Amino acid sequence: MSALSFRLGAREGFLSFLPMSVGLIPWALVMGMAMISAGFTPLQAMGMNLIVFAGTAQLGTLPLIVAGVPLWLIVVTALALNLRFVIFSAAIAQGFRGIGAPLRWYSGHLLTDGVFACCFEKMLKVDDPHWRLGYYLAPSVWSWLLWQVFALIGVFAAGSIPKHWSLEFMATIALLVLLIPLAKQRPMLVAAISSGATAVVLRGMPLRLGLIVAIVVGIGAGFAAEHWSKKEEAA
Amino acid sequence: MSADATLWLTFVLIGLATTLPRASFIVLGGRVRLPSVVQRALRYAPAAALAAIVVPDVLVVGGDFVPLNPKLAGVIAAVAAALLSRNPWLPFIAGMAVLLGMRALSGG
Repeated sequence: MSALSFRLGAREGFLSFLPMSVGLIPWALVMGMAMISAGFTPLQAMGMNLIVFAGTAQLGTLPLIVAGVPLWLIVVTALALNLRFVIFSAAIAQGFRGIGAPLRWYSGHLLTDGVFACCFEKMLKVDDPHWRLGYYLAPSVWSWLLWQVFALIGVFAAGSIPKHWSLEFMATIALLVLLIPLAKQRPMLVAAISSGATAVVLRGMPLRLGLIVAIVVGIGAGFAAEHWSKKEEAA
Repeated sequence: MSADATLWLTFVLIGLATTLPRASFIVLGGRVRLPSVVQRALRYAPAAALAAIVVPDVLVVGGDFVPLNPKLAGVIAAVAAALLSRNPWLPFIAGMAVLLGMRALSGG
């Protein structure tokens, strides 16, 4: 029974994430090429890709590694780039009730923006832990495979794909497609606009801390918008 | 320590700085509960984070705020495609086509 519900969950999670996952392909290709152009050997590049598994943290720390910045600053930068995952982790944590610690660690390691945005609502609603685990792991492992395979292709294709194709734009489109259904609710739209505007204004902040401030501002604005719309309904 | 060993140590530390924030609450689970106000506020986290990543990506070119650029046109096309059609691939096709078309037209 449990294997069946795991498979059913895996199927649904995989199918709902599949269209979004194309956005990972150019991102991984770019990552592979960037690591080679930073001077890594193919072994070092794939080592980083396997150990870190995070587009933003990898791309963000790469220039610092190249510049020979002190190790502690590289680690602090990586933490700042990943702070949003503490928020995501807390938001989706209830979706892992009834699941053992080793699988939680593994699931945590695989947590990405795309899978979080795609899966977190159903993870909280569905009761069956086997179904939830399948529903989460299928798109996560799929993301991991795409990330490793296409980074490897990028490592070996470095230099032969014309840069002016701007394939990385597909990653931007993928994130937007995830944002659209969320932004159909008014307070969510307010949160998105406030956060986006703040991120633009604070783009010069060191260590990309502006990203964290923007997320906090967006959450606050969404919360305030929800509060006001309830008041209007009451009046 | 050799340069190669330092690099691998750097990878491991960046890996920890990635996996620990991600696993934090997933692993702690029921032992640590966030207050309900915080949980309600967290519903806005995904929209806020996605916008914080995407908006500067589209409107900032080389560190400067440049709202009217080919990427914005590509984004408008992609959003229109996502709103008007149920085909999941169309936003990517429309967005890339408009971006590359605009670049070709402007000679960039």
